[in-house]
Amino acid sequence: MKKEFKYVGGTFPCDHGVRKVTGDLDYCCDVKLPNMLYAKLLLSPIPHGIVKKIDTSRAEKVPGVIKIFSHFNAPDKMFSTYRIIPGQQMCIADETLFAERVKYVGDRVAAVVATSFAAAREAVSLIDVEYEELPALLTPEEALNNREVKIQPRGNVAHEYVVDVGDVPSTTEDCITMESETYTQRIHHAAIEPHGCIAYYDSSGKLTIWTPTQSVYGVRTVVAELFDLKYSDVRVIKLPIGGSFGGKQEFLFEPVTSFMAMETKRPVKLILDREECIVHTRVRPEVKSRIKTTVTKSGKLLELVADSTLNAGAYSGAAPDYVTTLSQKVCKLYRIPHYRHSGRAVYTNTVRFGGSRGWGAPEIITAVEIHMDQVAKKLGMDPVEFRLQNLVHPYDMDQVLHLSLGNARVIECLTKGAEAFRWKERYNSQDKQGRYRRGVGVACGAHKNGMYGGFIDSTSMVLKMNEDGSLNLNASIHDVGCGIGTVMKIIIAEVLDIDLDLITVTEADTEYTGYDPGVYGSRVTYVVGACAKKTAELLKDQILENAALILGKPKEYLRVENGCVYTVGEAEKRVITYKEIAEKAVRENFRCLNAAYTYYSTSNPGSYSVQFAEVVVDTLTGLTSVTDFLAVSDIGRALNRGMVEGQFQGAVQMGIGYALCEEIKIDDKGRPLNNSFANYHMLTALDMPDVKVLLIEHEGDDGPFGAKSIGEISNVPTAAAVVNAVNNALGTSLSDLPVTPDKILAALAEQKKVGAC
Amino acid sequence: MLIEFKVNGKSYNLDVCPSLRLIDLLRDELGLTGTKEGCGEGECGSCTVIMDGKAVNSCLVLAPQVDGKEILTVEGLAQDGQLDLLQQKFLEHSAVECGFCTPGMLMSAKALLMKNPHPTEEEIRTAIAGNLCRCAGYSKVVAAIKAAAGSTDRSPGQVE
Repeated sequence: MKKEFKYVGGTFPCDHGVRKVTGDLDYCCDVKLPNMLYAKLLLSPIPHGIVKKIDTSRAEKVPGVIKIFSHFNAPDKMFSTYRIIPGQQMCIADETLFAERVKYVGDRVAAVVATSFAAAREAVSLIDVEYEELPALLTPEEALNNREVKIQPRGNVAHEYVVDVGDVPSTTEDCITMESETYTQRIHHAAIEPHGCIAYYDSSGKLTIWTPTQSVYGVRTVVAELFDLKYSDVRVIKLPIGGSFGGKQEFLFEPVTSFMAMETKRPVKLILDREECIVHTRVRPEVKSRIKTTVTKSGKLLELVADSTLNAGAYSGAAPDYVTTLSQKVCKLYRIPHYRHSGRAVYTNTVRFGGSRGWGAPEIITAVEIHMDQVAKKLGMDPVEFRLQNLVHPYDMDQVLHLSLGNARVIECLTKGAEAFRWKERYNSQDKQGRYRRGVGVACGAHKNGMYGGFIDSTSMVLKMNEDGSLNLNASIHDVGCGIGTVMKIIIAEVLDIDLDLITVTEADTEYTGYDPGVYGSRVTYVVGACAKKTAELLKDQILENAALILGKPKEYLRVENGCVYTVGEAEKRVITYKEIAEKAVRENFRCLNAAYTYYSTSNPGSYSVQFAEVVVDTLTGLTSVTDFLAVSDIGRALNRGMVEGQFQGAVQMGIGYALCEEIKIDDKGRPLNNSFANYHMLTALDMPDVKVLLIEHEGDDGPFGAKSIGEISNVPTAAAVVNAVNNALGTSLSDLPVTPDKILAALAEQKKVGAC
Repeated sequence: MLIEFKVNGKSYNLDVCPSLRLIDLLRDELGLTGTKEGCGEGECGSCTVIMDGKAVNSCLVLAPQVDGKEILTVEGLAQDGQLDLLQQKFLEHSAVECGFCTPGMLMSAKALLMKNPHPTEEEIRTAIAGNLCRCAGYSKVVAAIKAAAGSTDRSPGQVE
């Protein structure tokens, strides 16, 4: 029987929605503190070299300049911007506040603190730096082949791994093998809000940091360890965030801003400009993957062997973890009797990589799904039919991580999506002649629901009911822009049957809200949401206990509805409002309505999305338009439907850009060529199709009301669906992303040449 | 130099540096921080305001160009505590996620509806083509603007 929900599955505006549409919500750039100073960074213009000398005499003359910092007057203690918890494994401390040896164009050389941003900016332009240039290695190939130049003391390989599970089954059937290579490029997260933070070190020795981060407790760990402060003396307050997509998961500027605040004893604010965001934060890494599969002629996968090389940029950051996760996605999606994946993260003198929406899944799944289309083509099978034979089934085991995939409904996503998209008809009746060629593509993707299985995945919260019946959820919520505060309200409202407007949700503040590791691994709805549900249930129990005392009935004879408690099993129903209960609880029962809970996640099922794209390619110009798009998702249960759809539509915008046009190229001097929105192209409203979203909702896992993650999975198969559609339109095998007009025209020219022979 | 202008119906006479950008004038001098800076080069549209009925990137307008002009910013959309219809529809249609592009998106939409109360989808998409959104992929924004345009309610906050 279908469950009826009153709030779950409805559409509600995001938290602080009114303040967002009126311009009243203060983001980091809007916050001003008394006596605040402004900081501006000086970034390296060369990819590799020693900072020999810094002459600040001209800069110091700028009125308003307070202090100028560089490695000459700053501590040289190494730290990792990726560390969330102390002693975290695979976390290499290899950077300092300011570089003595700069390792990429954009490395941090110096900073000016001044009484105005204009003064700081002017002073930075007047600093003279003398560099001793060193040879630069700009690609993983160069870095692997060059034994003379070491980017990091440990060499040029940040991490290597091999995963090898299962065996190739014996078969009497004829088999084919297929090999392919896919390149996925660096992209900019492109949160519209530039990075920044504010720090203040007061006379009592307390350091307060205001920052739009994905983890306040992570900021605390890194900063407290770096400056030898007590964890309790570092207060980190999460600010409203103007988008993140993984770009604000590391603790990039809190250390250097805190240092400047500690030195000047005044609040210091650092806000980056767009070029700095592109060259000096983090990028999605470029990855090259070779894939070889063995498949029976009837379409059963027997073996998949992959080898991936990831360009980490100049420092370690998330490299060891991130590159390893490339091997942890494929077996969430396909049943593969023998799976082997080797890989490495390589240092280069280029812009640093970091966690990006999907964390390795968009990279490896793009390669796998482009490959699967090539296999289907070689077998002469429909790509949907081929995939259906090999996708995972509900409650399969992830053979790499040894975790249950839970109620994995990817097959249903594919079959229902194919029907809704009219796949068969459109795939078989495409016009492949003429200037404009139409094609369709499909791709499947898998992702996770939290960190369980390898990292702390707990959260603590307190939910209290005030004497007027309103509620405060005190929790370390980090809204990264998808309205997670509203999701918490929906969950609590559903349990207690009350209006969302009665609930206030805090954002994270290390001094006042309970421990939560942060926004990682698509854990928030699944784990933090489950905690909110459990906490609300505990509070409901307290409400009923107090109502029982007031009404003189055992709580088993009471039920809640619409903000009230009703008696059941009596001829005449009696009713009492939450407000009356809350008030009487305090006044007459001497009790408070206050539920606290710490939730530990004990599962990590797969989340799935299958996406269908239709493209039209202009064979004269090589330009591709995406003309139709369907995103299907195994979501378990949609909590805030409108926001779920919006997140998918946004993810598809990012994924189409990944497929067709977004890229940060580096020139032969190591300089990023796409360092502004004028030359880094994202899709606009005119370029985007109307993205349709189909949600497959089955409960069966531990998320609140069965909900599973969507923030990352929504972006996983998009690029492959688009590239497969282009290949379908043109009869090509393009796999070098982004599939730009020049690559399309080159492929068509090659096709013509081969055809003429 | 001395300039005279109106922002959200209020008159100002200010002595400004000729190189001051309109966005800084609004944010730093007048405290109207609803207008956001995402790129500083007119590409992202977060700083869009309406100047004499036209949507402009306030990061590309210098203070002297504002002399004698009327500016409408996101703070001027709601009237007497009542949200503009566009603001209401943005909220109802889940067109607001992180919210950083929202003020600029709203102002581009407002400028369109002031000139063209019943735009086609193509006209809506063209009007907001200079506003980048990374969260929501535009569909919800387009739907919200359509809903605001389709409604017969009079939209408050209209600049004469």
